[in-house]
Amino acid sequence: MGRKKKKQMKPWCWYCNREFDDEKILIQHQKAKHFKCHICYKKLYTGPGLAIHCMQVHKEKIDKVPNSLPGRCNTEIEIYGMEGIPEEDVKAHEKNKSKKAADIANEGDSDDNSNPPPSAAAPMMNGMPGATAQPGMPFAPPGMRPMVPGGPMMGPMGAGVPNPMMPQGGMGTVPGPMMGGMGPMGPMGMAGNMGPVNQQMRPGMGNMGPMNPMNMSRPQGPGASRPLFPAAAQSSTATSTAAGGGRPTFPAAASVVSSNSGAGGGGSATITGAPTIKKPESTSGLTSKLVHPDEDISLEELRANLPKYQRNLMESMIASSGMVNTSMAQGPPMQAGGPPMQAGGPHMQSGGPPMQTGGPMNMGGMGMNMNMGMGMGGPGPNMMPGGMMGGPPRPGMMPGGPMMGNNMMRGPPGNMGGMGMPGHGPRGPPMGGGMGMGMGMRPMNGMPFQGNMNMRGPGPGPRPFN
Amino acid sequence: MSLFGGGNTFGQSSVFGASTTTTNSNPMKDFEVSSPPDDSVSCLKFSPGTLPSTFLVAGSWDNNVRCWEVQQNGQTIPKAQQTHTGPVLDVDWSDDGTKVFTASCDKTAKMWDLNSNQAMQVAQHDAPVKTVHWIKAPSYSCIMTGSWDKTLKFWDTRSSTPILSIQLPERVYCADVKYPMAVVGIAGRALIIYQLDVQPQEFKRMESPLKYQHRCVNIFNDKKTNVPTGFALGSIEGRVAIQYVNPTNPKDNFTFKCHRSNVAPNGGVQDIYAVNDISFHPVHGTLATVGSDGRFSFWDKDARTKLKTSEQFDLPITTCCFNAQGNIFGYASSYDWSKGHEGYEPQKMKPHIFMRSCFDELKPSTKRN
Repeated sequence: MGRKKKKQMKPWCWYCNREFDDEKILIQHQKAKHFKCHICYKKLYTGPGLAIHCMQVHKEKIDKVPNSLPGRCNTEIEIYGMEGIPEEDVKAHEKNKSKKAADIANEGDSDDNSNPPPSAAAPMMNGMPGATAQPGMPFAPPGMRPMVPGGPMMGPMGAGVPNPMMPQGGMGTVPGPMMGGMGPMGPMGMAGNMGPVNQQMRPGMGNMGPMNPMNMSRPQGPGASRPLFPAAAQSSTATSTAAGGGRPTFPAAASVVSSNSGAGGGGSATITGAPTIKKPESTSGLTSKLVHPDEDISLEELRANLPKYQRNLMESMIASSGMVNTSMAQGPPMQAGGPPMQAGGPHMQSGGPPMQTGGPMNMGGMGMNMNMGMGMGGPGPNMMPGGMMGGPPRPGMMPGGPMMGNNMMRGPPGNMGGMGMPGHGPRGPPMGGGMGMGMGMRPMNGMPFQGNMNMRGPGPGPRPFN
Repeated sequence: MSLFGGGNTFGQSSVFGASTTTTNSNPMKDFEVSSPPDDSVSCLKFSPGTLPSTFLVAGSWDNNVRCWEVQQNGQTIPKAQQTHTGPVLDVDWSDDGTKVFTASCDKTAKMWDLNSNQAMQVAQHDAPVKTVHWIKAPSYSCIMTGSWDKTLKFWDTRSSTPILSIQLPERVYCADVKYPMAVVGIAGRALIIYQLDVQPQEFKRMESPLKYQHRCVNIFNDKKTNVPTGFALGSIEGRVAIQYVNPTNPKDNFTFKCHRSNVAPNGGVQDIYAVNDISFHPVHGTLATVGSDGRFSFWDKDARTKLKTSEQFDLPITTCCFNAQGNIFGYASSYDWSKGHEGYEPQKMKPHIFMRSCFDELKPSTKRN
């Protein structure tokens, strides 16, 4: 109570809420971060100064102060260090600070942290966390923890997968651990990752591979990195998260994935590296959004992976029977690691405990059922999808039917159903396709580890999208 | 003799149907090319000036390459078409205008002889072929193909093996050729410049002036000497870099923003769109850019000013080109996948190809230089 105003407020930057020990440093910061011309790198002294400079020298209009928080981008307010800050903002800042001091709770920080990430992306991130020594630090830990777990989790997951595949019996046990890990992950990290992943999935199978790398890298960048994803994911597709559940898996298999991705990416024989998601925007500072899929591969590559555009190629190259096989092959590339993850994802969302067993089951079953399911899927899928899906590969995936069939076989039908349902519901038709793919993929993946080589063998021809 | 031999024309039948005109499909009131492709238009090229009349070739995601004759009154007559077994990603003309080269996702490039209306495969890659260019040098001629298999290959059109194959560090995303210069933009934001004088030879690798994925590149000539001297590079982040290969002054190189949504001064989110294509005006040396935002813009790089921006189309503009005389600006509105699968509504996304009388609009800025 009595000690709220123990000291005078530290100087802070109105544009990004960062605190400094000395106003001189603050001014340096503002010149470097907020008043620097992005064209000639000249450092101006104020926001209006920068705007005038850009207009007169470069004939460019700057409507937002670079690297500023949303709502703090006004180029007309003249701020220099602590001078010129609107009264109400000073009060709000003080209030905020005192509150933080009082309770180390997340709320105070959450505000700061949550806002910046979505808008300013990378640059913001760097500056913010490190800069705000006091506030930032506490927060960082929380973020970090979730992330870390993920990393480890991933590893186990990947490892676990292969085994499950081999011995079906073993599956039951394996899943347990996996799930456990997943639970925690899901809420924090998973959600974030999930969203993005889904998007990638849709475009093309090949993409899947690349995705993993992305996720992997993210984790390393703890708290900071994560916010970015969610932001993007949320904006693009709310539902994706649920559906995407499957994707997260990938990360686990990171290393495996990367190797697979080269060969695997269905159409993307060409896509080697892991496509990375682009950083959101940070350009001139304000909130901006790149109208482009998250994968850092060309639009044409994404599009060429669609079954629709591979269909002709496939047809010309292979008989209908061959088609099925090829489609299968494409799926697998997704990655061995993938399968378990996917199962987990859905489970998480649905929250169904049974799911766990189901997930593993599927995996194990995949190998067994693969042939059966595939055959079923091939024909069925086409029917389901309609015009778009016509392509062989996706279709197979699409059909909830085939999947179900597999499940049925196993006995964990419930699980399967759960899986399929979620995907289809939220996503709609196309989404469903994606889900289906995931399902199909799993089987493949499972097999793959061992069978990958084989898969690839046949795959190459058809797989490359072309 | 008819330039186009056999039949196999398209458009007479109702296969392509009448184009459905939606409200914003032609906001610029330009001439619409008849019988456009069924799926997105990936590339457009007008015939070289060596032909007495003007022809337009378009490659599409529907696997077809179409050719129209363009008349003075702006009307277009479908002439012929050829088919690949995968989407067509690029087209180019031979310098004499008798042949068209096409690059496809089916991993091949074909040479289409317009006189006989025969197409034959002239290149093979291990992955889709993203770019194809005809190279006409005094001592040789060949075609250059760039692929996602990370190779750049040069073919004389008679042999099934390339005369030269260059391994690249990454997939080819864009390329342009203006003898004796070739520029290739690849994944990972790298740029490689080749000189083609005696034979294709790497001249220089450059760091990208841009921070995002390369999407299109177009070479420009020096204003005085009329020799290729630099290029404009477009990225997915609504930005174009004007880059000189040997800048006399480092400040000659610059980048400018384009194809972004307008944002209110306070807050709001700015959408940043990909630059899908760039084309230089053959006479004025000014340039046009087209973007996923559904607009085209004309620019004067020397005065560093924008000359014009179009109204917004209801679909992205995927490609553009000028005819040899520089009086026609051709461009295509169709979906470019910038919003992924979710943004794809085939029924509502009928492709259109437009032609605009543009000679005056692309005159260099007369304002202070």
